[in-house]
Amino acid sequence: MRVLRDLLRSNREFAIGIALLAVVVMMAALSAFSPYPPNDSYLVPPDVPPSWAYPLGTTSRGQDVFWLLTFAIRNSLLFGVLVAAISRCLSLLIGLTAGYLGGIVDRVLMSFNDTFIVIPLFPILVLFYFVMRDRMSWIGLALVMAGLGWAYDARLIRSVALGLRAREFTETAIFSGMTVRQILLQEHLPYVLPIVFSTTMNNINWSIGLEVTLSVLGFTDINTPTIGVMIYWANQHTALVAGIWWWIAFPVALVVITFVGLFLLAVSMNEYIDPRSRLGRFGA
Amino acid sequence: MNVLTVSGLRAWYVTRAFGIEREVRAVDDVSLAVARGEIYGLAGESSCGKSTLIKTIAGAVRPPLTVIGGSATFEFGDRRIDMHSADPADVLAIRWRHLAYIMQGSMSVLNPLRRVRHTFIDFAQRHIGKPELEFLAIVRAHMQRLRLDPAILEAYPHELSGGMRQRVTIALATICRPDFIIADEPTTALDVVVQKEVLGLIRDIQREMGSSLLFVTHDLAVHANLCDRLGVMYAGRLVEEGPTADLLRAPRHPYTAHLVASLPRIGDTTPRASLSGAPPNLADPPSGCRFHPRCPLAMDICRSETPAMRGTDRRVACFAA
Repeated sequence: MRVLRDLLRSNREFAIGIALLAVVVMMAALSAFSPYPPNDSYLVPPDVPPSWAYPLGTTSRGQDVFWLLTFAIRNSLLFGVLVAAISRCLSLLIGLTAGYLGGIVDRVLMSFNDTFIVIPLFPILVLFYFVMRDRMSWIGLALVMAGLGWAYDARLIRSVALGLRAREFTETAIFSGMTVRQILLQEHLPYVLPIVFSTTMNNINWSIGLEVTLSVLGFTDINTPTIGVMIYWANQHTALVAGIWWWIAFPVALVVITFVGLFLLAVSMNEYIDPRSRLGRFGA
Repeated sequence: MNVLTVSGLRAWYVTRAFGIEREVRAVDDVSLAVARGEIYGLAGESSCGKSTLIKTIAGAVRPPLTVIGGSATFEFGDRRIDMHSADPADVLAIRWRHLAYIMQGSMSVLNPLRRVRHTFIDFAQRHIGKPELEFLAIVRAHMQRLRLDPAILEAYPHELSGGMRQRVTIALATICRPDFIIADEPTTALDVVVQKEVLGLIRDIQREMGSSLLFVTHDLAVHANLCDRLGVMYAGRLVEEGPTADLLRAPRHPYTAHLVASLPRIGDTTPRASLSGAPPNLADPPSGCRFHPRCPLAMDICRSETPAMRGTDRRVACFAA
């Protein structure tokens, strides 16, 4: 807690990042109070520009942009967090095991890992969509992206684990008869958690970004409102040509706020974790 | 009665890369025995195989280190355990309870991200087998006996000084009152004042528990103060062994002689002669006696044949001795 307070006070990136994310999370939380269900249309007069009655205007499908946006950002955020959580578990499991066990296990896991690093993700995700079509749900996409997004960080964690393996406390742990699972969970996990924490932010960013890209092109489940799906429907109704700019501008603005907020958090976390860049702040 | 018997132990680092096999013969044909209640010192310069030898004795063998031959057998009461052929479960059962190992660089035995209390629980609780509160009470009592403030159980390692960390490590290793303690350079990183304290601590524990101690350091002064018997290693082999005072007063192997002659003495300002050359590369050791390229007494036989350890109480491996 004290760390958080110090960061807030002394690190401007951290403070701005937290503030931006607070806005985003509040928007998402407001979805619980929405007067309209997210998937119904023609509830309000269509194409009304931002006004007192409809603060962010309404869509051509007769939806209130503000309330629709709360659902969209909630789903997008949950999506990012879900992908990050699952892929973190995978990269921790694989990185720690490969680094600690070494030898043939390491080689097999890392060749697997490197395959995931080099394969192009976007065509694969599009392919998944064409194979699964309507069965491709929001959760399904999250699982697929988590399955594709762990590789870089697994390698990072492995490199740390390689160093930990040679430390005396690991030797002592082995000597005292701790099992591999105990050594990894009790002795090594605390070491890599800060790294995981920082990469989580980047991973959320990455997955939301990719989801938006896929949705805008219509390669996802377009019946669950997310930021990307909102933009997709706006495009379907040629919102920009028709002058309904608020249908596209607000979701884009909100997702940019999310990105910037998460990015600033990741940067300031990095700085907090790496003592050398912390020194750099003092102008050494 | 001997607690530890090592006979003909060979432990090599075997690496295989790009089809080339390399063997580094870090421990080659070493035999020694340590009696109950005895302090046995192992001396020798860096890279002569001291640490590898005791790693092998402790059974802490991980690739590329490979045991090629020989045995290291412990006898605790009526249990006889050969560290390399026994059931791994039996080896695990004696470790920590009967056999403690204070590792080299033991400053970093404590995980910097865990409180000292957690390190004790992680490493030692299962060997004592009591519930956490009872176990911690035992730990506190033990620390008080070692004149350590039990409050540091709540500290992180970086909050302790080097000497304190070292003493915590010793407390950690000796919590089960082991019969045999292996200590690998436990005082090397400490200044002489703390060194004296730590050595005193180790000796007190050893006396109180009646355990045997296998003590490794390159510092002959420490050996002279602490050890009952001394073994000198050179290039992966034991070259001389005997009661400490005897061995230091009248070394019989030319290497030991040089080692002893290089010790500074108070009031004596004559320059010390150094031995030319460096310890051999153990991936390609010299034929015959491994010391012959640097030995002033080298004869023809030294180049072709390996001298065996001769003698009973005072043993030496040299044709000239």
